[in-house]
Formats: sequence, structure tokens, C-alpha cells
Amino acid sequence: MLQPTAIVLQGAFLLVLFLFVAWVVRSTLRDLRRPDEQRVAGPPPADATGIHSALTAGAAPSGPGDPRLVVERAPGHTPGMEYEIAGGAVLGRGEQAEIRLDDPYASSAHARLVLQGGRVVLEDLGSTNGTFLNEEAVNGPQPLHQGDRLRIGDSEFLFVDS
Amino acid sequence: MNARNRELLGLVPASLLIVAGFGAVFLQERTQLDNLSLTYGAIFLGLCFAAHLIIRVRLPDADPYLLPIVAVLTSIGLVVIYRLNETLARDQAQWFVIGLIAFAATIILLRDYRVLERYRYLIAAASIVLLLLPRIPGIGQQANGAYLGISLGPVSFQPAEFAKIGIIIFLASYLRDTRALLVSRKRFGITLPRLKHIGPLLLVWGLAMLMLVFIRDLGSSLMFFGGFLAMLYVATDRLIFPVVGFGLFGIGAWFFASTVGHVGDRVSAWQHPFDPKLYEQIGGSYQIAQSLFAQADGGVWGQGFGQALVSVGDSPILPAAQTDLIYAVIVNELGLIGGIALLLVYVLLIERGFRVAVLARDSFSKLLATGLTTVVALQVFVIVGGVTKVIPLTGVTLPFVSYGGSSIVANFVILALLLLISDRARREARR
Repeated sequence: MLQPTAIVLQGAFLLVLFLFVAWVVRSTLRDLRRPDEQRVAGPPPADATGIHSALTAGAAPSGPGDPRLVVERAPGHTPGMEYEIAGGAVLGRGEQAEIRLDDPYASSAHARLVLQGGRVVLEDLGSTNGTFLNEEAVNGPQPLHQGDRLRIGDSEFLFVDS
Repeated sequence: MNARNRELLGLVPASLLIVAGFGAVFLQERTQLDNLSLTYGAIFLGLCFAAHLIIRVRLPDADPYLLPIVAVLTSIGLVVIYRLNETLARDQAQWFVIGLIAFAATIILLRDYRVLERYRYLIAAASIVLLLLPRIPGIGQQANGAYLGISLGPVSFQPAEFAKIGIIIFLASYLRDTRALLVSRKRFGITLPRLKHIGPLLLVWGLAMLMLVFIRDLGSSLMFFGGFLAMLYVATDRLIFPVVGFGLFGIGAWFFASTVGHVGDRVSAWQHPFDPKLYEQIGGSYQIAQSLFAQADGGVWGQGFGQALVSVGDSPILPAAQTDLIYAVIVNELGLIGGIALLLVYVLLIERGFRVAVLARDSFSKLLATGLTTVVALQVFVIVGGVTKVIPLTGVTLPFVSYGGSSIVANFVILALLLLISDRARREARR
């Protein structure tokens, strides 16, 4: 036997459940549609050398506008400073390096940026302490994407491509 | 409204579910409404609030919907288990509290979850030992032909629930390092990784599979293997890996179905649940057939709380109603509409999990979030698919809903890890 009050309570139970689902779905959809969520969430992660770099390595680039390295923090540099790297550059502590690193962890010729097929490619030059792309050690040439973070010792740069 | 206030607001519906659900069950069983349902709702809200405070202090940027979604699932589980058996519900409530303690401990002790990477081989080895424990004579227990539980004195638990987290952590860390190498070599137009790169992965997987054969639980092996393939696909973006992987899994499953007795029984019970011979046979199709009857009986709107016929005297009508068949009980009592609501909540949980993976910036976090979410998703698929006769029924728990201490605690650890990843990802994205 079902009690009328029990039916009402059960209806309330289901109603609360569906209202909860609707609330989460609505907020999720709003997050997805709102354009400034993109800004809040930074550049779309698909653009960064996160998980898709293995695929996009061979893909045709959309054409780099004006590739630059922005200093996030680096000994001897002011944060926000920008380096043009359209012609490639060597990063290191040595005299020949285009981007001089005043960093005890940097080797004299630490890493290299070259333009390959319209894409900027990062390569470690056998450095002692390694080069890190988005906190992952660089092994072999790595194409860079908008929003990538490049770190050598205590120096950190942001790659900007537009 | 900021993320944390949003999360706090989301805990209210979960508590209302406890109040309404317990109220309806009290009415059905004692024919009177009891203020106790309000008390239970308040206690539940208090516990969730404690979890919320920990997140507010330690992970201010974490995803605001994960905790409310899990609270809603837990509250549905508590109501349905209480309706089945009061003592079990009391146990389950205790496990819920222990789960929250494990949740808090994970968040507080693991401030930077990336230290896990450093111990990946230790974690992998510990997980394999955990998987093997149930086969050790003396502490292992066999249930329905599978070796899943171990008992140490008064405590018994299912180590596979914790092993799955360890294996996901190992795979995330290992794939992060090798994913570029896995796709670096091509032969005849297809990606063929070198043996030395994929070797350790195959080794760990061969071991895990071998042990699952020893443990003889196909549900868990599907979960592990599916999670592995999902991570491999996300890590390499090559469809060939999951396609070949599922092919191999299919061959393996077919082989075990035709050689291992109790697996074969499960498959024939799945194919012909209403065959009178299988229905009468011990370990036959009784459970799956009864589950289908119960769900059909529920109809669209359900029979109402307390109406499902779970047992007559001592003989069960719905065997393992509080664990394997809890979904069938929910559909019987709340109807198709209730079942859909529950599955929608799971869809939301999985959506939030993958969203954490999408937002995460570094590969380890991405892979870890993907793996953890996929394992939870596959676990829901294995058990709901089992009781609705989509795939052969194997006993895994419905995450956060089924009765089972290890499952609740392990799933709260997964929730804590997802929140840790989400907090870091959203904070970095905001900068």
C-alpha cells in the first residue's frame, strides 16, 4: 500500500533530483557558451603543446603571425619583456646566445629555437639541466604552440604566436 | 556567484534528497512520518559542509560541481540502502564518514599531487601486490568464483578498488614520458612504436591481465583495460591503439569465456536469461532474470519507495540487492524516470571529470584526470550494462551508490585527486 504522503515525498525526491541536474547542465552550458570563459580559462588548451603535439607536429600551421618569447620571470630580465624569434634564436648563458640567460642553471648554449615549415621548433642543445616545455623535459625537437611555457632553470618564458 | 558559494548551494539538493527519501521510507515502513529524516538530512549537510570547508581552504579554485554531484549520488545510495536494510545503511553511513576522512587526508597530505610521479614504480608494484592479495590463502576470500576480497581480522576489503587508482597514476606518469616516443616511428603508414618504448607498458599490462585471470573478475579487467586504452588514445591521438586494444581484449574475453568455467556460465546466463534450466541452476541466470523482471515491474513512474520485493523469508528475490542489483532496485521503486535521473547525474560527473582533463595544462594532470574519469565511467557502464543485459553481469559496485566500504573510500580518493587537478588547472588558467 502506498501512502499519499509517501507519493508526494517521492515526487519531491525526483523533482529535486531533476532540478539539480538542470542546474548543473545550465551552468555547464553557460560556461561553454560564454566567450569570456575563454579568456578566464586562458588560451584554449588544444592550442598549447599539451597532449596533441604528437599529432600537430606534421600538420600545416596556420601561419605564425609574429612569434615572440615573453619573459615571465628570469634573472636579469624584466617580466613582460619580449624577444622576436621569427629568425630563430639560441638561448643560453654564453656570449653567442641571442637570448642571454643570467641563470646559474643554464648552459652556455642551452636551447635553440628554429623556424621549420612555418612553425617555431624548440630543441635542447644537450644542456646540463634540461629545457622544460610546460613543465615537461624536452626530448628532441618540439613544435611550439600559442600559450606554451618554456622554462630553463629559474627562467620562464611564454610563447606568443600572433 | 563565485565557485565556492556555488558548491555550497549545490549541497542543499543532496540534503533535501536525504530528507525526502528517508521521509518516504519511514512512512512506508512505520506508517508515520518521523522527524528523524530531518535530523539525517541535517547530519548529511553538516558532513558535506565539512568537506566543502576543506576545499574552500585548500583548493579555492577547484571545480564547484564535483562535490555536489557526488553528494547527490551518495544520498541516493544511503536512502536506497536504508530502505533495503537498516544495519547496512548504518555501516554505509560510517563508510561515508571514513571516505570523507580519506578525502580530507588526500587533499591535505597531497598538496602537490605531482610528487606521485616520483614514486610511480613503487605505486605500480604496490598496486600489483594489492591485486594479488585475495589469492593468498588465509586472508583471501572467494565469492561467486571471483577472488576479490581479503579479510584481516574484523576488516575485510576489496584491494582492487585501491589498485585501480595506483595503476592509473602509474600509467599517467609513464605515458607522459613516452607518449612522444610511442608515435615517433612509422612503418607501412601505421604507427609502430619500438618494443623498448611500449615494452614496460605491455609488461605491466600483461601482469595486470594475468592476475585478473587469477582473480577471475572480468568486470574489473574491462575497467582496467578500457581505462588504459582511453589514456593511450589521449596520450598519442592515434586511433590504432584503442582499435587494436579492443580487438585483443575481445579475443581474450572470448578465450576465457570458452575455457574458464565461471566466465562461460556468466556468458550463457547473459545470452539466455529466461532459459528454465539456467534459471534454476545455482550460479545461473536467476540474478539477471530477476533484475530484468524488477526493472520491468517498475514501469515509467516506479512502484514507490519500499515496494520492491527484495526477498521472501530467507530466499532472495533480488540477490545482492544492495550491491550489484542496486540499480534494479532503484528502477523498480523510482521507475524509468528515476533510473534516467541517476544516469544523468553520472553523465554530469563524467562531464566534469573530462572537463578537468581538458583544462589541465600539463600532460600528467591531463592523463591522470582522463584515466580516473574513464575508470569511474566504465564502472558505471559495467554494472548498469550488466543489470540491463547489455553485457554479461559481473559484480562491480555502482560508484558512490552501492553498499561497500572499499568502493566508497576509493571513490572519495578519486574525487579528491580530481579536485586537486582541477584546482591547479583553473588557477593556472586564470593567471
